[in-house]
Amino acid sequence: MNDLSLFTITLTLFLIMDPVGHIAAYLKMMEGISSQRRNVVLLREMGIALGAMLLFNLLGESIFSYLELSESTVRLVAGVILFITAIKILFPSSVGIRGSFPPGEPFIIPLAIPYIAGPSLLATILLYSNMESQEFPMLMGIVLAWIATSVVLWLAPVFNKVLGKNGLGACERLLAMVLVMISIQRFMEGIQQFIQARG
Amino acid sequence: MNSSVIFGLAATFFLVTNPIGNAPAILALVKNFEFSRQKWIMLRETVFALLIALFFQYFAEYFLSLLRIQSYAVTLCGGTLLFLVAFHMIFSAATPEIVIEKIEKIETGENGDQVKSPPQQEPFFVPIATPLLSGPGLLTIIMLKSQEVQSHFIITMAILIAWIGVISIMVLAPYLQKMLGKRGMIALEQLMGLVLAMIGMGMLVKGVNIFIDQLNTLS
Repeated sequence: MNDLSLFTITLTLFLIMDPVGHIAAYLKMMEGISSQRRNVVLLREMGIALGAMLLFNLLGESIFSYLELSESTVRLVAGVILFITAIKILFPSSVGIRGSFPPGEPFIIPLAIPYIAGPSLLATILLYSNMESQEFPMLMGIVLAWIATSVVLWLAPVFNKVLGKNGLGACERLLAMVLVMISIQRFMEGIQQFIQARG
Repeated sequence: MNSSVIFGLAATFFLVTNPIGNAPAILALVKNFEFSRQKWIMLRETVFALLIALFFQYFAEYFLSLLRIQSYAVTLCGGTLLFLVAFHMIFSAATPEIVIEKIEKIETGENGDQVKSPPQQEPFFVPIATPLLSGPGLLTIIMLKSQEVQSHFIITMAILIAWIGVISIMVLAPYLQKMLGKRGMIALEQLMGLVLAMIGMGMLVKGVNIFIDQLNTLS
């Protein structure tokens, strides 16, 4: 697999972080927290998320060799987890997997992990860091996507005002559609690699 | 010359969107809403579908290649979503007790739709706008034709003309519910669940087909 372009990395990671889809949840979480405190909390949570992403980017190779993973395995895992996450957004009638987090000010969970740096994002980073031979585009991609996500969450009240509840819902579902497409693409790539590796 | 091309394309798009065939299925999805609300939902979803189609016409190739999404993933995605929706339609209401309970309520004059306890979520984008109306079939055809015709104007006009037909059929669809009545709608939901499952499975099979073709050319 050839190297990915910086833009591809950034866009994919940004879509998987799905900040627009988390605006509603984020605002609900931040209810009753003063606006100055909000910025502190947001910065802290985003910092934790960035730390997790960079850790996985750094440890990518060693995790691969330690768990004896093949690239197709990671693709399949990333695909399946992302698929289920996106399906939960599209069909919210069933009881959410994310419904049972403790209330109160978010600390590590649920904002940093798993909303921003969820398992599907970490798996994708793992995958990309293995595919991408150079360090630089990968780091840049992570940081750029992270900045974009932070800005979107920081502007969450504005988005909420402009789009309204219905508009947010529409954006959320449209992005979830894209996520389903990405997840299926990953999954099929995993199968393809598996078949090719068997010869 | 140009106008005949436009109308030819418009007819193709209209047929692929298949509003007449889709209308009963979509109606079954929104059957729990008030009549005026249904018309509003229909109108909104059709406009969303139009936006998706236009977006695809202009940006699809760029967008998909950027995310490294192959065409089979688009087809498989549509198939999976439709299949899940169909599954939901067939099995959520189909547990016999619920149906019987619903019918009893209808016969005692109460509103049968109050039986289901979870609040009804309004369909947004999925599954009506996409993948039912602007499904992978339509999107693929739009991509193909825009490569063939090489004129954005013609394609856009054709899509808009096709949508005049689609919108009018969709907005008229809720009147069908008045004709069928509540019992008819429950039966229709089951039947249309089956139809949707078949359409979805068809898309899945097509996607797998493309995928295998691609595997063969690679190896």
